[in-house]
Amino acid sequence: MRRPVPGKANVPALYLHAGLAGAAVVALWSGSARAMDSEVTSDTTAQAYDLRSPTGETVLTRRRLTTTMGVGVYNLLDAPMGDPHAAELSFRARLRYDADYGVAGSEVDPNNPNALTPGVSQGLVDLMYGYVEGRRFMHGWLGFKLGRQYVTDALGWWSFDGGEVNVTTPYFVKAEAYAGLEQRGGLPLSSSRFESDGIWRGNRSRYDPAQYPQFQPATLAPAFGVALESAGVNWLHGRLSYRRVYDTGGSNTSEFGNGLYTPVVYSGTRISSDRLGYALDLNLKDYGGLRGGVVYDFYDNEVTQLYGTLEGYIGKRVTVSADYDYYVPTFDADSIWNFFAGEPMNDLGLRANVDVTDRISVAGGGHVRVYGVDTSPLSTATSYSPYPNYSPTFDIFPGNGHPFDEGGNLSARYHGGATLVSLRGAGNFGDAGDRVGADVAAQHVFETRYVASVRTGLWQWQDNLRPDRDATSYNYVLGLGYRFAPRAQATFEWEHDMNRLVGQRLRLMLWLSVAVGK
Amino acid sequence: MSTVKLLLRLLPLLVILAVIPVALAEAPVALHGLAPLPDDQKVPHRMLPPGADDPDDGPSDVIFPTQQLTLRFNHGKHVSKDIGATCKTCHAAAYKSRSAQDTLLPKGEVCDACHSSDHTNLAAVKPGDDATGQCGYCHQGYKASDGNAVAELQMPRANLMFDHQGHLDRNIGCAQCHGTIDQLELATRDQLPRMQGCFHCHQMPDSASRGEAKGACDTCHIRGERGARIKVMFASGTLKPPRWLHNSEHTPDFIERHKSIAADDSQFCANCHKEDFCTDCHDGRVRPRTIHPNDFINMHPIEARMATEKCQSCHREQSFCLDCHMRVGVSESGPPNAKDSARFHPPKSIWSDPPRRPGHHAAEAQRNLNACVSCHTERDCVVCHGAMGVGAGFDPHRGNFASSCANQFRRNPRPCFTCHEPTDGVLAQCR
Repeated sequence: MRRPVPGKANVPALYLHAGLAGAAVVALWSGSARAMDSEVTSDTTAQAYDLRSPTGETVLTRRRLTTTMGVGVYNLLDAPMGDPHAAELSFRARLRYDADYGVAGSEVDPNNPNALTPGVSQGLVDLMYGYVEGRRFMHGWLGFKLGRQYVTDALGWWSFDGGEVNVTTPYFVKAEAYAGLEQRGGLPLSSSRFESDGIWRGNRSRYDPAQYPQFQPATLAPAFGVALESAGVNWLHGRLSYRRVYDTGGSNTSEFGNGLYTPVVYSGTRISSDRLGYALDLNLKDYGGLRGGVVYDFYDNEVTQLYGTLEGYIGKRVTVSADYDYYVPTFDADSIWNFFAGEPMNDLGLRANVDVTDRISVAGGGHVRVYGVDTSPLSTATSYSPYPNYSPTFDIFPGNGHPFDEGGNLSARYHGGATLVSLRGAGNFGDAGDRVGADVAAQHVFETRYVASVRTGLWQWQDNLRPDRDATSYNYVLGLGYRFAPRAQATFEWEHDMNRLVGQRLRLMLWLSVAVGK
Repeated sequence: MSTVKLLLRLLPLLVILAVIPVALAEAPVALHGLAPLPDDQKVPHRMLPPGADDPDDGPSDVIFPTQQLTLRFNHGKHVSKDIGATCKTCHAAAYKSRSAQDTLLPKGEVCDACHSSDHTNLAAVKPGDDATGQCGYCHQGYKASDGNAVAELQMPRANLMFDHQGHLDRNIGCAQCHGTIDQLELATRDQLPRMQGCFHCHQMPDSASRGEAKGACDTCHIRGERGARIKVMFASGTLKPPRWLHNSEHTPDFIERHKSIAADDSQFCANCHKEDFCTDCHDGRVRPRTIHPNDFINMHPIEARMATEKCQSCHREQSFCLDCHMRVGVSESGPPNAKDSARFHPPKSIWSDPPRRPGHHAAEAQRNLNACVSCHTERDCVVCHGAMGVGAGFDPHRGNFASSCANQFRRNPRPCFTCHEPTDGVLAQCR
């Protein structure tokens, strides 16, 4: 994680953006000499608001600036436009600068132990993606990607730096293999979004070893994966994927700076995650569809996700479905939390969508959650009795399940040319709390360039674990935008939230999206 | 003889006299070619293009923009034995066409051969001698008093790539895509192809030998600009996937159910969406209001505990959540300056004291550990649950843990050593 010097948070971002901008200029300029297609995009958001702790004792001043710059160069092989059989080569990259000028310099200063907050950054610069992609080489057999890229499948939304190659056979099967390094926070130009959860990790190169020993150092994470999926057929698709990620380097297992434990740093290459997933989608046009997936975790030796949806088509405008979702939390294998007792979530739901007209659709459903209960006895042949505070009564697991959680949602949409109106409401009820309410939003584009929007919501929530934490929230957002070019828009938004716990709050936002293509 | 009797005797004669003019009058001419079938009957499903729904709403308005047909034409009559025309007689251009942008309707001169009209100079079209050669015979609404002008026929080009010749070369006849036009009178948009019908053949992977019917979207859909695999925005509307394609109809609640579609075939989504569309939420730094309502910051603890929307779909809890919780004082690991004086959890008597029950931290952790991970680092647990910690002996492991821990110890023993000394005898059952 890059830690800019306070007051100069935007310097590296400027350099990097300048570099990418230079590449963009080259791409646009060279586009004039060849038939390739190129674009430069940028999205910038400035936000100003205050964030209060539940008691209101702490108020964080947030002055955020998030800006991205993307470059794309396509058709590098100069294939004739409209030839679906021609091989393609393209390059895409997107750089992001995410700053909060409300973060005090003391919060990122290792010499200020009373304020230092590991992991917090004044201005993080990361390369969201940047890769060269080839498609349909060798008469459609071969495809590849090289660089920082995403993989999305039953194993989740994931990012790595490396290479991927895929082979599409004429036998309706596509094979894929990839290898590289998982994107991890704390490493250059990287964010922590894609690494497994459960370990507080980042760049601690400027920290004293005794300072926040539980904040683990970021190290390289080699990874590889393979996948098999169907190809060509549109009514049936399945993808079987396997991925393994390794943790490397040292990890502090003595997390107390006071020496409560013997200081130990465990070093070595070890599993971070090791999972197999499968997803399926089957559709019969006049009847309905079935889709689902399953994930098996080899580290935890169990199925950690299982989901499925059975859909039925009633006429042309009504779809009904039944959903099931089984979920067990899993974490980086470095984390102790994989070992904790857990109760799998079993969600059962029913849903319906009605296309009332070509412009109006309504969807709604209800669900109930049943928690699995771990009542298995401990195998206590070698019980914890040697430990000083052992008590058999503490090892009694609940003998019965929790009450069900339940809820429902209702969504509706009207789309009429330049006008979009939507409703999204939900009610969820359970032991942990209740939350019910709805948002209504509308947007209209005047004369193809002036955009006006409004969103308002009314929500009531109740925290059952903290009875004093309940409130009714009313809020609204007013927005005005101007499309000053076909793919460029500036928008200003005023958000006003109010509830009895924290009173009135405002958030001002400025959006600027620009895209230039050639 | 009374008047009444006289009338009764003359009645047959009066009837005959009344019928004679009617019988001699010319029967009204039924106008054909104004609709697909006489009297605007509904076209039977069997006559529609393959892949049409039943009942059918016609082809996509986006791909085939609405038309304005100002001509009267009877296809069935023209291909009958009496006239003997074939599709090629009038649509010869289709047999050589490589692009959906080509004009495939016959020019007026093609009609002249039989209708005795003269369309050579469209600025001065000459009608034929007989009724079938008159302008108004084919051009609907034609009035000579309008300056010899006819109503414009509007037939926008299809927003599609299509190689007529390529298909004909593979012996794919007209009816295979257009239905039984030879049995219809006027051919309308309803006889244009349906995507479902294309898929009767287009089910081949990219690597099938060139020219085969590939199933990829950009085989037929127009390639988008600037890296978009297909173009989705047209003057006639925006392309959206139909319900029967991967169950991916973009319903109002699609955001809640898109996961399984993307997890199965993310490249299907990538035909219309670039990564940026996904990252705006899944790696976003600006709260998407379509996901989280306004004032979500105040109500998010309940949502996080209930996990109706799984936070970890878009957020890494030990980074995104923990960073903010430490700064605002809702975390045990935060800096001293940011400690909040309030107790975030229920009273100790409920939260920490035995027995385990709903509301106890063990029960809450067991049913949604992710909520704990968003505020606590593992050290917070080790304080009590570690083998040598303050509360050593409060075993957090799941039942039968000892029987399965060997696999985990072998693959990654690091977490074991977080709570247990490497020399701890209890580890023997996992080694």
